[in-house]
Amino acid sequence: MNTIDATEHYSTSAHDRPPSLLTVILDTNPHAWAQLSSQSALPLSTAVANILVFLNAHLACNYANEVAVVASHTQKATWLYPVAAAAAADPNQPPGDKDGDTPMLPQTQNRPPPPHEMNKYRPFRIVEEQVTQNLHRLLGGTTADDLSATTSTLMAGALTLALSHINRRTIAWAEAHGGETDPNAHANNNNTTTSTNTAGGGAAAAASGGDKASTESGLQSRILILSVSSATGAAHQYIPIMNAIFACQRLQIPIDVCKLAGDAVFLQQAADATKGVYMALAEPRGLLQYLMMAFLPDQRSRRHLILPTRVDVDFRAACFCHRRVVDIGFVCSICLSIFCEPLEKGECLTCGSVLEMGDYGAKPAVVARKKKKKKVRGPGNGASATPTPTPTPGP
Amino acid sequence: MAAAPSSRPFEYLESLPGTVFFKLYQQPSTALAIFRRMLPDLAKCFVMALLYLKDPLPAADLEVWVKSESLKERDNALSILGRLHILSNTVIANNVRAYMVTNPFAASLRHALTGAEQTQSFGVLAHPSNAAAVSIANLDDYARRQWEGVLGYMVGTSGLGIQRDVNLSKGVKQLLQAGHLVEIRGARVDITKDGFAFVLQDVSTQVWHILILYVESAEAIGMDSVEVLSFVFLLSSLELGQSYEKRHLTANQLRTLADLADFGIVYQESPEAAHFYPTRLATTLTSDSSALSNPIAGSLAGNPTGDPSSSSSAANKAGTGFIIIETNYRLYAYTSSPLQISLIALFTTLKYRFPNLITGKITRQSIRRAVEMGITADQIISYLSTHAHPQMRKHNTSRSTSNQAGIPQSILPPTVVDQIRLWQLERDRVQATAGFLFKDFVSLAEYEAPCRYAEEIGVLVWKSDRKRMFFVTRHEQVAAFLRSRK
Repeated sequence: MNTIDATEHYSTSAHDRPPSLLTVILDTNPHAWAQLSSQSALPLSTAVANILVFLNAHLACNYANEVAVVASHTQKATWLYPVAAAAAADPNQPPGDKDGDTPMLPQTQNRPPPPHEMNKYRPFRIVEEQVTQNLHRLLGGTTADDLSATTSTLMAGALTLALSHINRRTIAWAEAHGGETDPNAHANNNNTTTSTNTAGGGAAAAASGGDKASTESGLQSRILILSVSSATGAAHQYIPIMNAIFACQRLQIPIDVCKLAGDAVFLQQAADATKGVYMALAEPRGLLQYLMMAFLPDQRSRRHLILPTRVDVDFRAACFCHRRVVDIGFVCSICLSIFCEPLEKGECLTCGSVLEMGDYGAKPAVVARKKKKKKVRGPGNGASATPTPTPTPGP
Repeated sequence: MAAAPSSRPFEYLESLPGTVFFKLYQQPSTALAIFRRMLPDLAKCFVMALLYLKDPLPAADLEVWVKSESLKERDNALSILGRLHILSNTVIANNVRAYMVTNPFAASLRHALTGAEQTQSFGVLAHPSNAAAVSIANLDDYARRQWEGVLGYMVGTSGLGIQRDVNLSKGVKQLLQAGHLVEIRGARVDITKDGFAFVLQDVSTQVWHILILYVESAEAIGMDSVEVLSFVFLLSSLELGQSYEKRHLTANQLRTLADLADFGIVYQESPEAAHFYPTRLATTLTSDSSALSNPIAGSLAGNPTGDPSSSSSAANKAGTGFIIIETNYRLYAYTSSPLQISLIALFTTLKYRFPNLITGKITRQSIRRAVEMGITADQIISYLSTHAHPQMRKHNTSRSTSNQAGIPQSILPPTVVDQIRLWQLERDRVQATAGFLFKDFVSLAEYEAPCRYAEEIGVLVWKSDRKRMFFVTRHEQVAAFLRSRK
């Protein structure tokens, strides 16, 4: 009799399962891949083949699931899939980040599809063809000059691209499904993502709250970063990366990190702050199994699973002045900028506030004075021996 | 069981013998469709995690993977996987129990993901000239017209003045009769209780219902039901707006194709044409809830007599719903479709009819009348929430986010939902559940363990600790559990 009790009416919409959007950021840094394939026999081609199977598995999980793939290359971040959507890319992107301006290679362009692919599920095939074609084009368009210029990867740009795509899809999905999120939430989302592009410090401060209900019922998005580069080279992107992380935290988008090689200071923080999965692969050749087991479950399934996370997260930051990763730094008390060494003239480089460094390095004077004060107060001569209120500057 | 929203096809599949599964899973498209449509989220994770493992995964490892508070979900997922013959229990060295994905399924799913095999499992694309191609709007229009024709035939809207431009074939009528959805007495068509239940469901469930009926009746007309079923799954993996070659199909599949064209599930210019088009009814078969908001459901509901261009564009932009229901039981439906009006009239006292709007009120009498016809409160509620106006969704979403965080919001006003159920309860005081009773346990401990197990896998209906009895809907796994303890 309990089963036909009218109070159970809430369960009627329980089977309404929204699709999820998986955005993969593939680090295509040629320096790092060359090193990795020589060390552990995982060339980029094998890794891409594994990733494609993983993408197919994600698409297979739900009819409406979506994928997007971003390549984070040495000199630019670009879309590998979907390309049509990226062609109408965000106007906020600097022109160098846009795709479509890379020259096409004629041999990859009008290649007839091999006959054995004919029996493949069409969405799978479209993703695979686009990803391999665009990756081919990207690597073919990389010149020796590009490579000699830098050895790092443009992770911040890729994260920003991924975020703007997620934002666009979330809005589109909500509009198509009868306004699951209110327009205010959209405005907030827009602000957050666009301000990450400008790399201003403001977006980080807005990392509070977050609308749980819209993420429960709307399109569920997550980002997977396949990282091979070492992060020390990427310290100059510290601020944009952290802004992107805070935007994800606010939008409740987990950033999963699959670390194939190198160390990743900021990516550990990314996974930690957004409650994503962080895994440094001990054996990169088993990439597919790692992907299938740890990174395939979406947010709904993750509620039931115990996921690999990192306990000892590297919380180090990079300084704002020389982009060095620091263990102990100096923090501006006004704008919270981080510096690796005492500032000349005591002026904060970010906000320009004049900071009183005092005699830095000397023995802290406060402790000594307090002891003195007590002694002086003992006799009752309070008025003359209270120097503390006077030096505090006015507002 | 919330994890299996598609209960009807699931139940049918479950009832099939294991050898049928073996044959079904030979096709990658079938493996993919069953994986996508029939499994709960957690089960999908298990399958994918195990798919590329060489050795069976020890059961203990799998259990460690799941959080301890989600035991019920885990057992439910494992139970469904077992019933669909996807996961099998094996014993590896040292007598450790382990799970592995059964072979035809694993191989087929791997082929679906990597596309390595030379089969035509996902259809062969035809490349007609651009002029001959049929647009998606036309396909939607065709599917909607055919499907509406079927529903209209069942409800008997001819009296309400719908234009009968759809000629239902004899096969369709026979199928509806064989499925006990209608009874044909001479020239008159009477809808049955099952039929009422059928027409109130959402489109995707209806299509599955019809397809299962078709597969069941396939044996009777001399076709292999496995072949038909795997063809249905093949259809579900095709892409909308593309045409596919017919010459690779077998004779039985061609016959199925012709029959399904009558329902609007596939489209072919003529029965002799060299290729066919799947319509949206076919391509959304493996989606679950999002099928509710596809353009067909929308145009079926909203604007069926309008021209195809306006109806599909309107449905695309604004979702599908057209019914507004207020807390005072008043109902407003923005529709001019005779079919929808006659459906709403089943459980509503209609008051006014305007060119694009009808109003009415849900009353005790109207619900009683519906219940007497065999319609259940759940069907009415699911019909109303399926077709709820976007305004209702918006309004209730914004309201429920503020006060009740953990509870999934219901689109309809809770008072109305409760009252409809209460009105049904007035008549309907006994609920029958088919199942199996376990009794005569010697000790309390012997009783408790299987009882708890039954509860975890979600088959327990009733138990009495004092009498040491419990009642389950399915006994196989509980029996296996009892055997394993001995």
